[in-house]
Amino acid sequence: MKEEHSQNLPWVCDKCKKELVLSKVKVSYLGGNFEVELMKCPQCNTVFIGEELALGKMLEVERGLEDK
Amino acid sequence: MGKAGFFRFCLLEVNMDYQKLLELQERCISDEPAATTAWCPIHIDVAAFNMEMEKGDFKKAYKVLEKRMPFPRLIGMICDHPCEQKCVREKIDRAISVGELERAAVSYGCAPSKKALSPPKTSGKVAVIGGGISGLIAALELDKKGFAVTIYEQSERLGGRLWNYEGKCYEKKVIEEEMQTVQKLGISVNYHYRIENEELHKIIEEYDAVYLGTGKWEKELQIDPQTFQVGGLSLFAGGGLYHKDNSIIYSVSSGKRAAFSIERFVKKISMTAERGREGSFVTPFDYNLQDAVPAERVEKSGDVYSEAEAIEEAKRCLKCRCNQCSKGCSHLRRFNMSQKGYAKQIYINENVIMGTRYANKMINSCAMCGLCGEQCSHGNGMEDIIRATRESMVEKGKMPVSAHDFALKDMEFSNSDRFFLVKSPPPIPKEKLEQRERELFTYPRITFSNYAQSLYKGDKPGTEKVDYLFYPGCQLSASYPEYVDKTYRYLLDNIKEGVGIMLGCCGAPADWAGRQDLMKESAERIKNTWLEMGKPTFILACSSCSRVFERYLKDINYVALWEIFVRYGLPKEAKKGGGSVLNVHDACGSRHNKIIHESVRKIALELDYKIDELKYTREKTKCCGYGGLVFYANREQARDFVKDRMDESSKDLLVYCAMCKDLFVEEGKRTYHILDLIFGEDMEKLAAKKMPNLSERHVNRAHLKQKLLKDLWGEEPEAKKENTLKLIIPPEVWKIMDERFILFEDIEKVVAHAQNTGERFFNPENSNYLASLRIENVTYWVRYEEKEDGILVSSVYSHRMEVAKE
Repeated sequence: MKEEHSQNLPWVCDKCKKELVLSKVKVSYLGGNFEVELMKCPQCNTVFIGEELALGKMLEVERGLEDK
Repeated sequence: MGKAGFFRFCLLEVNMDYQKLLELQERCISDEPAATTAWCPIHIDVAAFNMEMEKGDFKKAYKVLEKRMPFPRLIGMICDHPCEQKCVREKIDRAISVGELERAAVSYGCAPSKKALSPPKTSGKVAVIGGGISGLIAALELDKKGFAVTIYEQSERLGGRLWNYEGKCYEKKVIEEEMQTVQKLGISVNYHYRIENEELHKIIEEYDAVYLGTGKWEKELQIDPQTFQVGGLSLFAGGGLYHKDNSIIYSVSSGKRAAFSIERFVKKISMTAERGREGSFVTPFDYNLQDAVPAERVEKSGDVYSEAEAIEEAKRCLKCRCNQCSKGCSHLRRFNMSQKGYAKQIYINENVIMGTRYANKMINSCAMCGLCGEQCSHGNGMEDIIRATRESMVEKGKMPVSAHDFALKDMEFSNSDRFFLVKSPPPIPKEKLEQRERELFTYPRITFSNYAQSLYKGDKPGTEKVDYLFYPGCQLSASYPEYVDKTYRYLLDNIKEGVGIMLGCCGAPADWAGRQDLMKESAERIKNTWLEMGKPTFILACSSCSRVFERYLKDINYVALWEIFVRYGLPKEAKKGGGSVLNVHDACGSRHNKIIHESVRKIALELDYKIDELKYTREKTKCCGYGGLVFYANREQARDFVKDRMDESSKDLLVYCAMCKDLFVEEGKRTYHILDLIFGEDMEKLAAKKMPNLSERHVNRAHLKQKLLKDLWGEEPEAKKENTLKLIIPPEVWKIMDERFILFEDIEKVVAHAQNTGERFFNPENSNYLASLRIENVTYWVRYEEKEDGILVSSVYSHRMEVAKE
């Protein structure tokens, strides 16, 4: 589960005015914990999740876990 | 139902009852053969054969024959087709010409069979006396089973009666080629070897078993009709010796069956176990000919059907198998399931310990409408099984959260302060009071007691006796708040006994979602209100509510709103239909309620509409696709239900469930709700009127409550906290909000949070902001721009996965 086109991401953290960086982030659903690389603000650590990721790979993983 | 009974009922079957699954599997006859296949002594799959013939795929049809018929090039040409006697078409026109179709399949689809491998001969040795049809077939079968076979044939060639048809049904060359295959297998043949009774005894001694297929024998033999064994010896006999009628196909059958017995005999296995279905038998399933269209049998123009004639004749075949349940159900069809197969899938799904539960989506795509139960003549039906399965999934924590989450939150909303309401009848306005006094003067004896009661009814729940409680339900109030308002006023005007009102959700979504905990809570809430109000009769306007009342609130008397309209008369303002014809789509929730069916039809007739009944109507009605929460769990499946019904209906629909109307109109089907007929103004517009979206459905319910309180009880709503945000939502965003189950109020919360905290992302290329907020178990994201006139939302999406906070 990786943010597509992460290198060209135009978004910046509006609060910290920082460019986003690719980092390892912990995500969890229904007791399943994963470490994935996602874009986030290096200062406030807010993680960016784009539409394509949320409705694509992330949804797929969610559905997969729901059926386990 | 007493309280104890009520609890027992609610706690019933928290765990899956596997016995019920097994019973359903046993009762379902979906895999029973067609009458012809059962009667065919070698059980050719006649339906599968004709399916290929009808496509003109003669090669595949020939393969279907070959599966069960030895020497199809020969037998297929001379089969005496006893199956035709049992073809169900005989009841409406004439049987399918199976015999002629077999000949056509051989003529146009015959292909050299793959060379069969002859296994090592380790099973024993068998003598076959007589190289005619049954002997040859017994020899062939025994060879396949690993026996060393020796044929004793009195003449100079194999084939016996097969030669009678030389030049008529096939050429000499074909017989010779086929007979060569016998020898290629390694079966030894002794020609010009005639065996008589005396030598038979020696042969019996010499071999492990002997098959006698000589057509005639010197003395009468006692042949067992099931095993073809002769007098308990190692001797077996079939063919013409057993079947005195010269039937070709029965000779084939007895040769095969005797070979099977010989194998069991030599291996010392029970000769009779599990053999009930050899030879001709009657299938337990009785094909329903209701939809069968008579079609004349195709006569052949030459010796054999032409290809075109064969295709035409095969098309007449009904390809019978029991599919009564799936015939009416788009869900069973989408998943290509019989009830038997479904029960197996559920069993597997329930018993997954590690790994994926593949049937979850299917289980959540059933509308639980009960039609399969109506269609099945063997007492099966999936509704209760699906309910128990979903409850079991919830119990084990294995129910996919996303399937029903939105619907359950919607139910929570309906039973929250924003919509939930219980009120005794409002105070009667002065002018109405005066009118009633006049009536009282005229008819004192009849009306006094009820009238006197109504005068003293209070405006707080539970303080006074209420005879009726109007319960419009959550979805009608969401789709048609104005009709609920009008209906309540109608009830107040027309029913002299007090009519209170209760707004909320009956719990149907919880019942469908397998959430017995929430169902119980909801039923208790209704029951307590009913007790506090002195056991009024509920007036229900939703068929899902009536289903819930019948299942969980048996003590409570209810009457359908439609019956009230019939009893008290329609409002004078109701527009006449001018003879327009409507198809009534009955609601699946009340498929067994004849009074509702009749009331709805009476209302339409009284308003000068004509009714054209659909094929699936009343107790056999179909679901619109909302039932069972399919709409939330599997949108494509829900759409199948709608489309299926649309295909059946050529007129405008008349429905009496708000969700039916929503779903049909959404797919472009002109549909009236019964309240459209009663209170509607512009009928042309109403038939195609788009229904409120998910966000508006919340707003409509909240406003309805406020409006009723203000207009009828003079209660002002509590001041709503000011929202300074002005959100601009373009139509395409409204659309995706509904597709993604995201509400306006969710967006408001996300944007407000971002604006207040500054926590958001910014895209300098287009000045877009992107903000997110976790609300309960979902993270919502909103992309927006700050415009002069407000906040322009350009996209919304959500996910359930949670990102850990650093």
